[in-house]
Amino acid sequence: MSIRQRPPGENVGDAVTPPEQPPTHEQRRAERAIAVSFAVSALAGLGLFVVYLAGGQTQIEGVLLALALGGLGVGIAVWGEELLDAREVVEDRHELSSGAEARVALGAALAEEAGSNLRRRSFLVKMLLAAGAAFAAALALPVISLGPAPGRSLKETSWKAGTRLVRQNGEPIRADDLVLDQVLSVLPEGHLKAADSVALLIRVPAGQLAIPAERAAATVDGVVCYSKICTHAGCPVGLYKAAEHTLFCPCHQSQFNVLEGCKPIFGPAARPLPQLPLAVDAAGYLYATGDFFEPVGPAFWDRNRT
Amino acid sequence: MPSFNVQTPLKWVDERLGTASTARTAFRKVFPDQWTFLIGEIALFSLVVLVLSGTFLTLFFVPSSAEVVYDGPYQPLQGQEVSAAFDSVMRLSFEVRAGLLMRQLHHWAALVFVASIVIHLCRIFFTGAYRRPRELNYLLGMVLLFVALGEGFTGYSLPDDLLSGIGLRIAYSVSLAIPLVGTWLTFLVFGGEFPTTDLISRFFVFHVMLLPAILLAGVFVHMGILVLQKHTQFAGPRRTERNVVGKRLWPEQTFKSTGLFMLVAAVLAALGGLAQINPIWEYGPYNPFSVTAPAQPDWYIGWLDGALRLGGPWDVALPGGFLISELFWPAVLFPGIALGIVTMWPWIEPLFTGERAEHHILERPRDAPFRTATGVGGLTLFFILFLEGGNDVMGVLLDVPVEVITRILQVAFVVAPLVAWVITYRICLNLQATQMHPAEPAPGELLRRTPSGGYETVPLDQIV
Repeated sequence: MSIRQRPPGENVGDAVTPPEQPPTHEQRRAERAIAVSFAVSALAGLGLFVVYLAGGQTQIEGVLLALALGGLGVGIAVWGEELLDAREVVEDRHELSSGAEARVALGAALAEEAGSNLRRRSFLVKMLLAAGAAFAAALALPVISLGPAPGRSLKETSWKAGTRLVRQNGEPIRADDLVLDQVLSVLPEGHLKAADSVALLIRVPAGQLAIPAERAAATVDGVVCYSKICTHAGCPVGLYKAAEHTLFCPCHQSQFNVLEGCKPIFGPAARPLPQLPLAVDAAGYLYATGDFFEPVGPAFWDRNRT
Repeated sequence: MPSFNVQTPLKWVDERLGTASTARTAFRKVFPDQWTFLIGEIALFSLVVLVLSGTFLTLFFVPSSAEVVYDGPYQPLQGQEVSAAFDSVMRLSFEVRAGLLMRQLHHWAALVFVASIVIHLCRIFFTGAYRRPRELNYLLGMVLLFVALGEGFTGYSLPDDLLSGIGLRIAYSVSLAIPLVGTWLTFLVFGGEFPTTDLISRFFVFHVMLLPAILLAGVFVHMGILVLQKHTQFAGPRRTERNVVGKRLWPEQTFKSTGLFMLVAAVLAALGGLAQINPIWEYGPYNPFSVTAPAQPDWYIGWLDGALRLGGPWDVALPGGFLISELFWPAVLFPGIALGIVTMWPWIEPLFTGERAEHHILERPRDAPFRTATGVGGLTLFFILFLEGGNDVMGVLLDVPVEVITRILQVAFVVAPLVAWVITYRICLNLQATQMHPAEPAPGELLRRTPSGGYETVPLDQIV
């Protein structure tokens, strides 16, 4: 460790370059270290060329790039720390403010050069402001083009009375395709891309569904259908724990009791997963008798307005 | 051999722009020699790496949600319908030479960028560097943090993989939860009901043009104000409120900063090459019917995701069929208040302390117990949320049901910040009482041998 004495109160401004002195042992060592660092950097740079031309390899490229940059970094940093004759200097801090006088002068200049003119023509100034405001409003108008009016799009899905339930590949589904506790993601026939319409078809023990009569009437032999979109933040409710008859959302861990109308039993979700009313046609295929009983997905401001 | 004369180019430029004396002043700028002052530089250098690597990525990325069939060398996804955006990122990862390195380098640089901004903010906060006259630069720094978060989120969303699609889905739902205007605002930003085809091209414009323009201009002004106002410094020998003690920009600080830049870039390159990040081929392309578990966002969004998990089922039905979403409290109101307090802190603190004077000497955290305790309490709050953001991962690691972890953290969210506040406050007072102070010169003198063989004493505070 080098200890250097500095006379108290010395204000080192432009220090004079000290006379050349023979390098100390430490400086020689630093010089060698810097030379090695730069050599490593240069070799790594060349290596990058070779690896790149040979077809590239991510890990080797990363290491070589790190060595090329790191060699430069170490060399330059050591140079700065060990070989520069580092001097601590004191710089005076000046008052930030220009002072009251300058401010008064500025105010006066503004007032003299235009202020009185503007004051005398207050009517024109008002007109100018009005024109400016109208212009700003006109400029903001194209923002409306960015999106359609929400309308009823959040309240309705692609399910209509009579729409058959299909798998993601478009195949229709019979009620007896599902065994007990089986879960199937279903979509409305003809709308395989309708993200808001995806639903879960589940077969539960028929007698155990504890839901109001008109909802129970919308199930088929224990086959019940709920929206797959979490009412909390809209993730697909992906996991079904058959033993507990609960649906689990992996995003924020909301849990829904399938037997009780998918009412939330744990986690941040506040509303049940909406139920899709089902029926069976003559050929045994499941179809919806209408849209979900409530709007699907997360809450929004006018969700409960009809 | 004609030797190079530095006067030749200097003369050429100066005779046309007259910059020589300004440059002379600039190179003489004094930088206090304090390692914590380099954290902001790390943010700046990560930003440079982000711009360079990002420019490379832009040359290959296709900002389109048009459907294409994947037909690249990654077997498991062959024949799958993916978006053109996802397809181009797959191409970058598997077919473009050095493409994966650049992608991973870019992602790591983004994580380090936000991290260094946050640590820089902590340094500024806990040393009171934001006090008059630096309130404006603090405010600008907060704006830069928010823009950086926006950059992070939009960039995370661009590859259109399953994980980023879920992130977008959640952001869309949070946006819907804004009372009164949420639905309209969301439809304007996203271009309709989620998922929309406009989204990727829009986020691409945000990510590579609008936000970087704001970011770069803001950083320029941030540093310009720093030069105008000069650096703060810790108390120490010869340091007063009226001066700055340190090393000059040229040559000392230039060597130090250039070395640091190279080292930051080197670490990012090593991470980019060796540490896999965001392997989108493992998540697969986004489709609205699937979900991955566990799903974790980048670290700086973790606290917000944690807030979503921690929140209760508190939706509030209002008369007239209106509804306040349960997402409103944790994802709109809480971040609004918490980040609002952080942003406005230079104006909030004086309400409590009455301290409004100009300061250039930094405070040690122990000397401002109220501020330090409040800062630690706030960090605790965010940390609890961050933990909750990983409740599923913790549940697996600790073999504890996530329900239990959530309940514990719900209590901790209320209790832990208060406990942290009281403990920090007492630690500050105790440290003050020890009278040992790293910012004060140690008492005593050093006895040492002179070259001529005699002895001399040097006050310890005179030793550099």
